[in-house]
Amino acid sequence: MGLLALGTPLEWPEAKKVASKVRSWGIEQLLAIWGNAKGKERAALLWGDEIEYLVVCYDEQNRKVRLSLRQADILAALANDEKLLQEGGGVPDVQRGPVKEGETAPVFHPEFGRFMLETTPGKPWGIGFKDLLDVEPNMKWRRIIAKDHMEATEYPITLTTFPRLGSPDCIVPAYPASGPKLRSQYVPDEIANPHIRFPTLAANIRWRRGRKVEINVPVFRDEKTQWPFKDPTVNYHLHQWPEDDDVRNGAAKDNHVYMDAMAFGMGSCCLQITFQAKNIQEGRTMYDQLSPLGPILLALTAATPIYKGFLVDTDVRWNQISRAVDDRTPEELGEKPLQNDRWRIPKSRYASNSTYISQDPRLRPEYLDPDLVVDEDIKRRLVEGGMDDLLATHFAHLFIRDPIVVFAEDLETLDLSKADHFENLQSTNWQHMRFKPPPPNTDMGWRVEFRPMEIQITDFENAAFSIFIVLITRAILSFNLNFYLPIQRVSENMETAHKRDALSAEKFWFRKNPFGSHAHSTGTSTPADGSRPPTPVGPVDDEYEQMTINEVINGQQAADGGDCFPGLISIVESYLDSMNVDVETRCDLARYLDLIRKRADGTYWTAAKWIRHFVQTHPKYEKDSVVGDEITYDLVKAAEQITREEGRDGLGKEMLGKRR
Amino acid sequence: MKLILSTSNIMSGGPSVIRRHTFEKSNTELTSSLRANFTAHRSSPPTPTTTNGDAAATRPKPPFKSWTTQQENTLWIPTHTPSPLSEPRESYDITVKLFYLPNVPADTRRVQTREAIDLVLKELGTSSIDLLIVSFPGISFDADDEESDLDDPPSAPASLADDGDADGAPEDIDTIVTTWHTLEKLYEEGLVSKLGISEFGCSRLEKFLPRTTVKPSVDQINVRDCCVVPKPLILYAKQQKIELLTHNDCTNVLPRGTLRDILGSGEKGVGVLAGEKDEGERLRGEVQPQWVVKYTAVVKDRGVVESKGYLAVAELSE
Repeated sequence: MGLLALGTPLEWPEAKKVASKVRSWGIEQLLAIWGNAKGKERAALLWGDEIEYLVVCYDEQNRKVRLSLRQADILAALANDEKLLQEGGGVPDVQRGPVKEGETAPVFHPEFGRFMLETTPGKPWGIGFKDLLDVEPNMKWRRIIAKDHMEATEYPITLTTFPRLGSPDCIVPAYPASGPKLRSQYVPDEIANPHIRFPTLAANIRWRRGRKVEINVPVFRDEKTQWPFKDPTVNYHLHQWPEDDDVRNGAAKDNHVYMDAMAFGMGSCCLQITFQAKNIQEGRTMYDQLSPLGPILLALTAATPIYKGFLVDTDVRWNQISRAVDDRTPEELGEKPLQNDRWRIPKSRYASNSTYISQDPRLRPEYLDPDLVVDEDIKRRLVEGGMDDLLATHFAHLFIRDPIVVFAEDLETLDLSKADHFENLQSTNWQHMRFKPPPPNTDMGWRVEFRPMEIQITDFENAAFSIFIVLITRAILSFNLNFYLPIQRVSENMETAHKRDALSAEKFWFRKNPFGSHAHSTGTSTPADGSRPPTPVGPVDDEYEQMTINEVINGQQAADGGDCFPGLISIVESYLDSMNVDVETRCDLARYLDLIRKRADGTYWTAAKWIRHFVQTHPKYEKDSVVGDEITYDLVKAAEQITREEGRDGLGKEMLGKRR
Repeated sequence: MKLILSTSNIMSGGPSVIRRHTFEKSNTELTSSLRANFTAHRSSPPTPTTTNGDAAATRPKPPFKSWTTQQENTLWIPTHTPSPLSEPRESYDITVKLFYLPNVPADTRRVQTREAIDLVLKELGTSSIDLLIVSFPGISFDADDEESDLDDPPSAPASLADDGDADGAPEDIDTIVTTWHTLEKLYEEGLVSKLGISEFGCSRLEKFLPRTTVKPSVDQINVRDCCVVPKPLILYAKQQKIELLTHNDCTNVLPRGTLRDILGSGEKGVGVLAGEKDEGERLRGEVQPQWVVKYTAVVKDRGVVESKGYLAVAELSE
């Protein structure tokens, strides 16, 4: 999340008045980009990963760990490190060194949470196998640099969420909760990055909703968990803000852990991968084909079993973030009849995808979301401007939202050489895939971002998942794979991925046959076939079935030896077989593929499972779902040790196997 | 008569290119993509109900002349049109692997090599190859390399469903060197930028290298588990500036029996060759596989395999 220009942010009632203007200016900017860049060709694959850290601070004396709010100090130290700048690294928002021909030092970015730090490689990766093998050392280098600019008591940890975020005394320095922006019972306004954009975002989401955000996560019911569970941390007697009524109006649900601020969601760490496509067509293909893989990778990377000091009954972060930034009004949510708002909206701004965008003959109309909400005026304008129906529908769907943060200064003139208004809407639609037009006046191409994965404790795992996704995209393009699935099934899968131990206990909708018919789909086959009618297609529902994650990754075993899904690993291996790969590289890649293979078949545990096990076997755990200070301290310490040792000393071997 | 079998571009060919067992070394990619390509050409026009094999198997086989093309004394199986690459030549990395087969006299290799390269160049619509790797019959890294680690597992039985003409004795070094001189010529002519060999262990390399003018840049080895490549080979290859690449092809990719099964009149055959009974116009005689070539064109900067396929040539003698 980069920092946009400073300015005077409008409070919600004012922002609301100019929402249409921002949208229509955004659409004009999009059309300008479209006009300039629709034919843009980029020869090379470039890609990048984003790693997010939680900065924790140990209090050894009291065996406590807290979140450190020193993001700004750490970034300042990084931005002023001469050596780092010389090597090409730094903080792009402040200053960074020149991108080098060879190795370039990594760069660091602020994030929403003031306890977070984001880091990316100093320049994008290519597809050379050497680049792939540089990813893991580079991730480790980034963590070392980050740590070097922290206090001795601090450490950049890659847990998705801080287990006790929102509990008393969980941040340092300490601030009182119930500030004017967030109005949260649990976290102070200072939890968010102080750049005006972030508190405004949080405040205007709350304001637009008409109440605080509401995050209820089902609690994990252990032997001694009080039942029905009433979140004991909810304070029903606060009277500082009107929003303090929320809990008296039933915001906190029975048997759930209740949270009330954007920080509980946007304070989560993810592993995101962005690809630059050859051209817009390839970008659209990747967007569509990666979309059905999103829920699978979410379940495979599951790492989030604790919220606000309680074990919960879900394994991943996704829906919590979704609710943490859900700005829908009661009318849009369908709780009240539509009077002032334009439509009912089925999903939060942060949710699984709702569109397919590729002009692909394999995209059947049945795959599209029949209930898609689209701003028809915007769509008409885009089509008028030359955009095809499918892509116009996509953007007209994203643009049903209001801009949340609007700076007064930006409304003076429409600058078609910029993308600020377009990005205002685009970058506050947090779907699990993002299709990114080239920023104006850059040599960047069309890009696709893969967003569902949870951050992993070790950089070995983060590299493994990043590289796996890169290889999958290469296999998709090489084999012309088809993973299309009705979009509602993808959304259902996203929900399924949340369930505790979904990886081994649940099944996911997945396409049975990802291949086309032999040789005739490429248009380069013999002329004799030119007159063939298109391959007949059966009912859409016959194209997919429910599979376990293990089947999706490692393949199905056909009882009769007939055709069955070969598994993503086999597909990647077959891709590698078609490439010239040297033995040492293949051996290194095999370590990554082996991790994914064994995660999928249950040999190795997800972080979610491991963390649950750690808590449940901790001597201080009282089988009541409560994750106390001391357990948290030991857990974070253990995570740090695993980050360093990667299971070589035995700790975490259930997740990682016996590493050499 | 000469038979030229082709797979077309197999990248969009579906399950035949996906290997199911990670470290299986096999020729199933070749055989199943040949079958798939034959089926695709024979079954035109398609009948909607033949998605599972049963119906296809029971239908009478269409006469082979309807889906093959004879030009003078050469029969293309199936009828074939080249699929030239779509981007400029410099975008691609083109690798060709030529499998010399057993029971072929060494002195015909020279002609075969030229023929194979010509066909590939025509297929891809290009005039040069980046890397040409050759595979000699009977040479297998597992069995050959006496310096293999002792705990190296014994070589798995190669999956050759065969009728006797298996790999046979390894090719002797003199024949290999003679053949290599042919390849050196291609290199000198600029047709091929780099040469490679397959499955050479240390001792064979040591015997081979001093007798070459153009050294191989690549040695392709099959590794069931990459981490058991013997150290001495890694060191020696580094020292000789030979890149060790992985592959999972078997050496004798097209045994005679397999070819007969594919082309024959049996249940799994496509009905080019006549069976026991007289079957009208089908061809008669003995087939003898001559060589097989695999070509792969990768878009370099994007890591996308645009084209991959096989061509195989056999002689049919009356």
